[in-house]
Amino acid sequence: MGGAAVALDYDAELMLRVKEGDGASFAVLLEKHRSSVIHFVYRMVQNQAVAEELAQEVFLRVYRSRSTYEPTAKFTTWLFRIATHLALNSLRDGKNQRYEDRLDEQTEDQPARQLADRRPSVEQSMVLEARLDEVRRAVASLPAKQRAAVLMHKYEELEYSQIARVLNCSESAVKSLLFRAYETLRARLAYMA
Amino acid sequence: MNCPLETRENAALLVSHAARELAPDMAVRLDRHVAQCAACSQFIERQQAVWEALDRWRPEPISPDFNRRLYARIEELDRQASWWHRLTSPLRPMPARHAMPIAATAMLLLAAGVLMDRSRVPAARPVQAQVEMLQPEQVEHALDDMETIRQFDRAMRSDSPDPKM
Repeated sequence: MGGAAVALDYDAELMLRVKEGDGASFAVLLEKHRSSVIHFVYRMVQNQAVAEELAQEVFLRVYRSRSTYEPTAKFTTWLFRIATHLALNSLRDGKNQRYEDRLDEQTEDQPARQLADRRPSVEQSMVLEARLDEVRRAVASLPAKQRAAVLMHKYEELEYSQIARVLNCSESAVKSLLFRAYETLRARLAYMA
Repeated sequence: MNCPLETRENAALLVSHAARELAPDMAVRLDRHVAQCAACSQFIERQQAVWEALDRWRPEPISPDFNRRLYARIEELDRQASWWHRLTSPLRPMPARHAMPIAATAMLLLAAGVLMDRSRVPAARPVQAQVEMLQPEQVEHALDDMETIRQFDRAMRSDSPDPKM
């Protein structure tokens, strides 16, 4: 928690410097949070091109809001609030084509998606690929808010209080969302153990 | 300790416990219970299996030109903002501490101008009154001028060649 508090102060301080016109501080914030924002949005919309486009919009909004920025919450809470808002809007508007749709369109001419180097055999690779697809589909099947809560909890390691502020609900509502989401995922993915 | 799986609210504690998010004293109590409860033990195993499955989902690599594209958009944003700023700066409201003295001075100047203008402008007179102000000499001069022009016109006609010739 101490480390998180220091990180909060540092990010907020950087953002206050951006507010004063320091472009270098914006570059530092971008490098620090770029990957987590893109990966979060990617797992939300399951389309890399759309995820990068939305992540660009996230950082543009951060930049545009610099003059009115006030460090009333953790910087990451604010950042993920913007990211979640954009991702949920994108899902609602159906602007993105989700990964599962692309899977359905896959033909025999197209090569299967490949995992990185550690593939001792084609069979094992196919098993791993099938399991990965199952993970993606299981996450995609969650209602959008549950999905956002799981991704922030599991991958971004945000605290319940932060997730609550991002999703604009109470901490107990977040715990309930997570419980229901994990219940669904346990039913679909626990066999992989 | 009652089994947390008896109620949904307490079952959420098991998720937090599996994520090692609970306070140490609560974690110790739950550990004791889980060691004796097959259902809770299985719940935690399955939850950990879910997290392991989620760990397999590696994100896609980020485009190498992500930053370049972002900074290009920011540059464009700044350019538009600068253009807009220049265009609207005369119309933009100033801070009150600057605007108040300027507004007060402007009001004073305006009031003074109105007062001076009122004192200078004569009362409106009918058109007939202006005609009456013409002096007889002015009328004579005008008639003389007209006669001179007429004579000049006649002289010019007599000098010109006969069109019948």
